[in-house]
Amino acid sequence: MSTTTIATSRRASTLDAIVKVGRLHLIDRVSYAVLPWGILAFTFLVNVVIFSLVPAPPEGFYTGSLLSIYIFMIVLGVLSMTKAVPFAFTLGVSRRTYYLGTVGLAVATSAVWAALLTALWAIEGWTDGWGLQMHLFRVPWVFDGPWYQVLLTSFVLLVTMFLAGMWYGLANRRWGITGVLALTAALVVVVLILIVAIILTDSWSAVGRYLGDLDLVGATGIIALIAVVLGLCGFATIRRITT
Amino acid sequence: MTPVIRTERLTRQYRGQRALDDVTVEFQRDTITGLLGRNGAGKSTLMKVITGQEFPSSGSVTVFGQNPLENDGVLRRMAFVKESQQYPDIKVRHAIEAASWFFPNWDADLAEQLLDEFALPRKRRIKKLSRGMHSAVGIVIGLAARAEITLFDEPYLGLDAVSRQNFYDRLLADYAEHPRTILLSTHLIDEVANLLEHVVVIDQGRIKIDAPADDLRGTAVTVVGPSRSVDSFVDGHEVWHRGGIGSLATVTIAGPIANGQRATARDLGLDLEPVSLQQLVVHAAGTEQAGAR
Repeated sequence: MSTTTIATSRRASTLDAIVKVGRLHLIDRVSYAVLPWGILAFTFLVNVVIFSLVPAPPEGFYTGSLLSIYIFMIVLGVLSMTKAVPFAFTLGVSRRTYYLGTVGLAVATSAVWAALLTALWAIEGWTDGWGLQMHLFRVPWVFDGPWYQVLLTSFVLLVTMFLAGMWYGLANRRWGITGVLALTAALVVVVLILIVAIILTDSWSAVGRYLGDLDLVGATGIIALIAVVLGLCGFATIRRITT
Repeated sequence: MTPVIRTERLTRQYRGQRALDDVTVEFQRDTITGLLGRNGAGKSTLMKVITGQEFPSSGSVTVFGQNPLENDGVLRRMAFVKESQQYPDIKVRHAIEAASWFFPNWDADLAEQLLDEFALPRKRRIKKLSRGMHSAVGIVIGLAARAEITLFDEPYLGLDAVSRQNFYDRLLADYAEHPRTILLSTHLIDEVANLLEHVVVIDQGRIKIDAPADDLRGTAVTVVGPSRSVDSFVDGHEVWHRGGIGSLATVTIAGPIANGQRATARDLGLDLEPVSLQQLVVHAAGTEQAGAR
């Protein structure tokens, strides 16, 4: 074998291992499919029952049930960095491969979920809110553009939630509960500094104007940026963990 | 002999405590090495550094001539089964299946046989298994992986004597057919004594013994007999341990014992007993007990 073919095959087997890490997580189908969609289906039915009994207000029904699927994404992210990590290490997987495989899974899962959510969003539109004027998937401002915008925003939000969960899981593994609390405290401090800076520079109106002018695509872009930062922080953390 | 694992002046420090202290050691290709020592001696830390799961504070480790840390090409040629190995919340057969994806030399038939022999319920969740069965899952993975380097760190917590014997038999049989480098850390030293080709004893992070098992067999001898005769016989020898009841003395001395001395012992009515590997380790690793060192 020449040097180039060795290098190519090594790259190929590393890519192969990255995909296998994703499959390793998917063994737990209950967490990755049954639970999140089961919960959403259940809350959907509860909403349908309640809203079919109550007369509809002129603006229709609004419900925050969609939030459960996003929160579940955070849970999956945290979960992915718990016991599967030492098992993967036993199987000869490096930290980098494990991280990339898990991020790949986050992206793939988010893509599938975003497509499903967009389909349900579309059906909700066609059926005038399931015949009940119910807005479960059509969340005002966030999910009321064209379908591809709904798809993109859902996808970016889902990935961001998963990556945030991953980083929290890793921080817990690396620094324990102290680390998680410190991380949370640090985030609070950053937000506080931003607020103080805005107050001191007397720029609330400018910020308000900016946010007011910000369209959904811009907001999605900002969230995507946050996702990238979370992903890099998580990667820097996993490189320091031991078992 | 080709070393596949080499550490050089390896030190791992945790908040003032040295888990590994200036360790320079080699592990040979296609050899079963026992890594022995007391609790907290540094065995697990050494295995973790070798598999890139723990970071050296100073010094270096090379596996197949490369640094194993974050090195996929090296890591996939190793299997490391730990004491209290953690698994995700999955069933036995899922863990076995997942392991089969990652190890290039995985033997599915062997895995199935071992599952049967250890009477592991394939459909049960790992977290619902008993202590011993939990350990057996790791053993099945470690053996069926046929990894070029296989590390077992106290792999049989809670495993009964029959299963342990089964593990030794299987390990030896499979090793004979598919030679590979095996590192086994254990406290059940006498059980594995016949399995080991090489012995490394580590204590307080330092290497105390690093020798072929055969060479160790003659390193010490226990003399049993009337105390006066024993005393005169052991005079001039390094005494490791002294004990006895009444007029009967039991003294362990450093070997080797020449043939002439054996005859003398016979004439004095003394019994010469070889010292077991376990006693050797106790002497080498038990700093307090080692009287005349």
